Amino acid sequence: MRDEVLREVEQFLYREARLLDERRFHEWLELFTDDVRYWMTGRSSRYPASSKAIVVLDRGRTTEGASSAEDELAILDESKATLAQRIARLDTGMAWAEDPPSRTRHFVANIEVEPGEAPAEITVYSNFMVYRSRSETEEDFYVGARQDVLRHVDGTWKIARRRLVLDQNVLLAKNVSIFF
Amino acid sequence: MATDVNQLVDAERGLISRRIFIEQEIYEEELKQIFARCWLFLCHESQIPRPGDFFSTYMGEDPVLVVRDTGSAVHAFLNVCRHRGNRLCRADAGNAATFTCAYHGWTYGNDGRLVGVPHFNEAYYGALERDRWGLVPVAQLDSYKGLLFATFDPDAPPLPEYLGEMTWYLDAFFDRREGGIEVVGGMHKWVMPCNWKFPAENFGGDAYHVQWTHLSAIKTSFSTGVVTKPNATGAMVSPGNGHVLICVGPNDVGDPPVPEILAYEAEIRPEVDRRLGPRLGLINPIVGTVFPNFSMLRATSRTFRVWHPRGPDKTEVWSWIYVDKAAPPGVKEAIRLAGVRGFSPSGTFEQDDMDNWQECTRTCRGVVSRRLALNTQMGLGHERFDENLKAWASDFRMSESNHRQFYRRWAQLMAAESWAKV
Repeated sequence: MRDEVLREVEQFLYREARLLDERRFHEWLELFTDDVRYWMTGRSSRYPASSKAIVVLDRGRTTEGASSAEDELAILDESKATLAQRIARLDTGMAWAEDPPSRTRHFVANIEVEPGEAPAEITVYSNFMVYRSRSETEEDFYVGARQDVLRHVDGTWKIARRRLVLDQNVLLAKNVSIFF
Repeated sequence: MATDVNQLVDAERGLISRRIFIEQEIYEEELKQIFARCWLFLCHESQIPRPGDFFSTYMGEDPVLVVRDTGSAVHAFLNVCRHRGNRLCRADAGNAATFTCAYHGWTYGNDGRLVGVPHFNEAYYGALERDRWGLVPVAQLDSYKGLLFATFDPDAPPLPEYLGEMTWYLDAFFDRREGGIEVVGGMHKWVMPCNWKFPAENFGGDAYHVQWTHLSAIKTSFSTGVVTKPNATGAMVSPGNGHVLICVGPNDVGDPPVPEILAYEAEIRPEVDRRLGPRLGLINPIVGTVFPNFSMLRATSRTFRVWHPRGPDKTEVWSWIYVDKAAPPGVKEAIRLAGVRGFSPSGTFEQDDMDNWQECTRTCRGVVSRRLALNTQMGLGHERFDENLKAWASDFRMSESNHRQFYRRWAQLMAAESWAKV
């Protein structure tokens, strides 16, 4: 992957993070293609096949996957329309989970860029750490991995798919009222 | 307990002491008097369909392993090794013939028998009575329409008696179609900084908060907003034993506002009416709590969940999304999405409950605030036993009659030395 593409992607992701931290959600929404799937799940705790903690009875019933499949429960599973609906909700003046608003700081790291499945697309891997400060003394950390498909549309990058995996099993935050 | 429980709950006047939401001593007593004695929800049978399938959960703060043994019988054991008390199984779910403790390697069969003790002959001289040191089972285990429950108390009434008339109301969630329900794969688990009773009472009878706490989600079309419509009917209903439900009128629509789901509901209505009988022509249960901490909801989403107590000011939510087994795949998918978007950590309804319950709990830390009683007087005197509903019911669709039922039961159990005295 050319260096200039990597630089473009980095700047794109940093700018996106700044839009979120500045609560410029309507501008943030414009970064997505109309056909985006925006999906986030958590992880669970499973014995690997090599584990000696159990002797498996029925190999067909074991799942080593530490995160949910895409047809299972997710923390977020959104289209562009429902992202817009969530942003409209924040604008009602009575979205209490964000009123007064949380203070967030999004960090993006470990960026890797690979060719995508379509000529105008690239796959971007990154890690994220989001700090949330809320009310007086509340703190939450949301940490995980991100896999994006970016598509080149009209001379700019747009997010055509975002897959987020949070690394917690039992989520320690009381809710997910922010975006990633 | 040094505290007189009757001073904490005055259901007749609708006054609840705030001490019960914050004091460690009362919380410890709840673990003994409520969680170690009541029937508690474990999981749905569709999670452990095959021999060897297991699911790790909790009853109160006690870790519990639910497992279907090789012969297909279901057991629930304390998930605790009998040797040094280590937690035996550390995975959330899976499939196993045996479980081996990570500390010294004691091994148990999926029927709970202690089948392996390293150095049994040399170190124990073959004298350890292995048949007496198997996993400790719950006192009673039973299921209702696929919902698995257990109690640690051998003297607790059998499950059908404990649920009583609540069974019909459970059917309105879980047995509306032939085959009942199944759960969607995966779970939502998260921590709420609040006392467990706030969500339990909220799901059991707080129709009142919907029109304000959740108005943002209703205004932005995440719900049909049934309980905010001026012509809505319904009642707070309690079939007894502390079980409580929010019900709307028979023709009020509480379903997620998704075309596929609404069309599906219209199509299956005759079958549902036939299965549930004439009572469904009077009332439509949409949210509820089986005492003490198992709640369900079929407005906006289709979910059931356990509010695991984790101290007076902490609750762990374990939540599932369920679908009618007989529903077509497209409807199941629509319900999965409606659940993620409505009732989950990110749920556009659910996320707005958290700060309320948190702050209701946290302000109890102030010694002066703690002296204030919680006002639970809405609709006091405007409730009756309804012969047709076979339950207590409020006259108006908003009332705290269910809160009073819930806390009356709480106080009874906290005060009673045994089930015989409840």
